[in-house]
Amino acid sequence: MNRALTPGQVALRLLVLLCPPLALLATGLAGVAPAGWLVVLVLVLSVGFAAMPDSPFGTVATLVVVAWWGLAFRDDLHPQAVLAAAGLLVAHVAAVVASYGPAELPVDRGLVRLWALRGLAVLASAPAVWVLAVALQGQPEPPGIWVAGLAAACAATLVATVAFAAREGG
Amino acid sequence: MTAWRPTAALSRALLVGGVGVAFAVLAGEPVLMVLVAPFLLLGALGLVHHPDSRPRVTSQLDHRSLHEGQGTVSRLVLEDAAGVEQVTRVAAAAPYVALHPRDGRVSRLLGDGPPVLEVSPRRWGRRVLGEEKVGLHSAWAGYRWGPVTLEGREMQVLPLTAPFDSRAEAPQPLGLVGAHRSRRVGSGTEFAGIRPFQPGDRLRRINWRVSLRTDALHVETARAEEDTGVLLVVDALADHGRSGGTDGGASSLDLTVRAAAAIAEHHVRGGDRVALRLLGVSRVQVGYGSGQRHLRRLLGTIAGLRIGEPHADDAETLQFGATAGTVVIVLSPMLAESIATATATLVRRGLPVLVIDTLPPDAQPAVVDGTDPVLADLAWRMRRVEREQVLGRLAALGCPVVAWRGPGTMDDVLRRLARRTQLPQVRVR
Repeated sequence: MNRALTPGQVALRLLVLLCPPLALLATGLAGVAPAGWLVVLVLVLSVGFAAMPDSPFGTVATLVVVAWWGLAFRDDLHPQAVLAAAGLLVAHVAAVVASYGPAELPVDRGLVRLWALRGLAVLASAPAVWVLAVALQGQPEPPGIWVAGLAAACAATLVATVAFAAREGG
Repeated sequence: MTAWRPTAALSRALLVGGVGVAFAVLAGEPVLMVLVAPFLLLGALGLVHHPDSRPRVTSQLDHRSLHEGQGTVSRLVLEDAAGVEQVTRVAAAAPYVALHPRDGRVSRLLGDGPPVLEVSPRRWGRRVLGEEKVGLHSAWAGYRWGPVTLEGREMQVLPLTAPFDSRAEAPQPLGLVGAHRSRRVGSGTEFAGIRPFQPGDRLRRINWRVSLRTDALHVETARAEEDTGVLLVVDALADHGRSGGTDGGASSLDLTVRAAAAIAEHHVRGGDRVALRLLGVSRVQVGYGSGQRHLRRLLGTIAGLRIGEPHADDAETLQFGATAGTVVIVLSPMLAESIATATATLVRRGLPVLVIDTLPPDAQPAVVDGTDPVLADLAWRMRRVEREQVLGRLAALGCPVVAWRGPGTMDDVLRRLARRTQLPQVRVR
């Protein structure tokens, strides 16, 4: 049996491999380059992500990049964040398309087209949030805004988890 | 029972989104919201599109009976497919079955129709397609159903009807109405002679020129045209050589089966009565008959033959039930003594018997692993020498042996048999 990856799968896995490290390195454009070991760590995790798009490597690699962006710039909003968001999203979407079947499955063009459109639509939220954050930057914070925000995030997570569990059980 | 389960993509999106939002709020870093906002959206959309359906999946073939090399389509039938966005099929390979796409893997959005697989059997017989796995995904890749395993469908693959045409007439036509010239005088078109007029003769048969010259009415007579009985004896005791299906070399049984199919089709189309004896694990026989329905029965029986030595009870007697007026065509590589003996018996009974040698010139013996190749080669050469002696003895008895080479294989031999049947013979009863 032929076990070679199809050209479409190779292209998708290259995106999965390269995009998280590029999103990490994007902080360098804003003047803060990541440490070498961090780049190697993300690259190793990305290799696992590209080899097994359904594995937790992808989640860990993405969270490491997100955490680095939070640590690299304290209270600073750089437009390169949108670039990093695009990189992470491309890796995620490429992994989604690659994981529709076995590694040797030819990639359906209609599926790629659909997910490209979906990716673009979803990516629009990143610059929107960035513009909103820039607009609100420097505004006096109402007392308890972050507590309320955390409570809202927790509530949303709880609702999502309950809904998730209910549907799982059903 | 298979149920919809969340995909790894949904878990990743929700986890990255949730953790990112929590960090953004706790650390007061809006940049994290920029990074995880698309993941939150993807996770939410995946959750929203949770399907409530209980899909049922089956596969079906457009045609269950095909000739070698022909193609059909394996379709996926989806019931209760609400919420399904994408379908993936992965079919396992099966011997002598070609698939398109070649590796049997196909994925498609359900909006474009369920994915289909093109199937083409490459060798006669009963072919079972490889089992396949089918997986379904909901919109936004939030949930996955399956993969479930579907058992491979069975197909009846009829032998390739190789182009075959013979213009030779049957040696002993003895039937009602057909295409072969009989030795008897009848109402055919072939001129037989001129004789004096007798009451009952048709007026349009009167030969006026001879009648005027002799002062007595004379009529032209013609030879009757009758059908003949053809008995096909197919040797399925063993398969020698390697079969590559329609795309590669032919084994002895490939040649046997395809030749039998071609001869049967030729004679049935010519209006002859054709019978079949399969000599394999079990003795299968199809009685004399004609017409398309009978041809389909013959081809189906040939396609369903089982290779192997017969049971001890069956091996002792080989009764063909061939009667006068029947042409017996034995299709065999002539490596089994029982076949050679039975053929010789038929020849001695005075029946026109023709042996079609179906042993490929490059056939190699199938030996078990660990057999000394030199020893195997020596044994095979000795077997072939014995076979040549058997063929020589059959030829000495008056039984022609020809190698199958498609159209025209039997023409010359049948003509000679037809001439010989007009000579006086001594028959052993």
